[in-house]
Amino acid sequence: MKPAPFTYHAPTTIEQALGLLASEPDARVLAGGQSLVPRMRLRVEKPATIIDINRVVGLDGISVDAGAVTVGALVRQQTLVTHDGVAAVHPLLREAGSYAGFHTTRHRGTVGGSIAFAAPWAELAATTTLLGATITVRSTKAQRTFAASDFFLGPNQTALAADELVTEVQFPPAPAGTGFGFHEASPRYRDYATAAAAASITIADGVCSSAALVLLRAAPAPLSIDVASMLVGRVVDDAAIEDVVQSLAGLDPPTDIEASGAHRRRLAVTLTRRALADAWVNAQEAVA
Amino acid sequence: MSTIENQLVTVTVNGRTYERAVEPRKALSDFLREDLELTGTHVACEHGFCGVCNILLDGQTVRSCLLFAVQVDGASIETVESLAAPDGTLNALQQAFNDNAGLQCGYCTPGMLMTAKEYLDANPDGGTDDQIREAISGVLCRCTGYQQIVESIRAAASAGKGA
Repeated sequence: MKPAPFTYHAPTTIEQALGLLASEPDARVLAGGQSLVPRMRLRVEKPATIIDINRVVGLDGISVDAGAVTVGALVRQQTLVTHDGVAAVHPLLREAGSYAGFHTTRHRGTVGGSIAFAAPWAELAATTTLLGATITVRSTKAQRTFAASDFFLGPNQTALAADELVTEVQFPPAPAGTGFGFHEASPRYRDYATAAAAASITIADGVCSSAALVLLRAAPAPLSIDVASMLVGRVVDDAAIEDVVQSLAGLDPPTDIEASGAHRRRLAVTLTRRALADAWVNAQEAVA
Repeated sequence: MSTIENQLVTVTVNGRTYERAVEPRKALSDFLREDLELTGTHVACEHGFCGVCNILLDGQTVRSCLLFAVQVDGASIETVESLAAPDGTLNALQQAFNDNAGLQCGYCTPGMLMTAKEYLDANPDGGTDDQIREAISGVLCRCTGYQQIVESIRAAASAGKGA
């Protein structure tokens, strides 16, 4: 279908974009358009005004500094996943980011757009949560920062106010000796995730010294599981992983047209096993 | 019904510069087909799933149905019409699709060709079949089962020039 008519603005500065967001009552920000435009074509969304931020200067930078990665909201997903400096300090961004659509859609799709849109299958929402990223948003009135774990509230729901724009995502350095794992299940290759699991494990003195696990589509928003309490001080072997799996028995994932909650729970268990096992192997390589 | 004004767009397509006034909601795919009468770019799902409308925007594949024409002001675009010679002679990539039955109904072919061109420009030796399959994974074909398309792309690489 064709989208409903809209008034089009293409600001070139953040201030102009924020001014439009503040003054236009029924406006949507257009970044990569890989999620918004399909919804406009299906007329699920019929914004009166489109604020195209693709020409805004200063939102497309990537910097890697002492292990911390700062990513501008307009950085294309493909730029992020092919950035060797990013992959060197946060390999999970390449690993998980490569599941976000196809390289053709990642040429347009942006990091900030994926985060602001918060699709329930958004791998970048899971990775920002797992990596403890900070999300910076701005309006004409103020700048706010959120921990990723506080930002995602549900499917396509975030803490972002209507007049705010995501401007930047900051990933803190990973501790030395950290390994990551990411596994995803989808009905077709590279299709939207039915379920996914992202894990990190840090090794010190031969045992797990910190660990994190985030599940996608196991709950309305990316779900952090407190695996540190089960894994710290241990070798993460099959027995340790099964302890984590036991703790997932109470998961109550959403049922929808794509999959039942019971199916998603089984997927979450399998993907958790694989993600933790990979994270442990990769952490061992990181300390070697 | 709409009181929204058309906007002027200047864009270079296949080396020729066009200037047109368009409604903001007009998709780039429709702009190419209707306003520029370049009907080689096909539209199928029209919401980003199928990849049939893939074109090269400033050298990178994009879904032309997910861009609005007003967004490409000042950009350079290549469509499937850029591949063959002016007299209609197929280029090596098109010839390989022809020789290896890389198409049946032909609906996905423009998207496949532009995606394959991008891949072969970056991987002139053709790479592995897995790499080829990854490269074309975002374009749906409902006829061939993909095997002949993979063979076509490999043949184009072997012919020494992808596109």
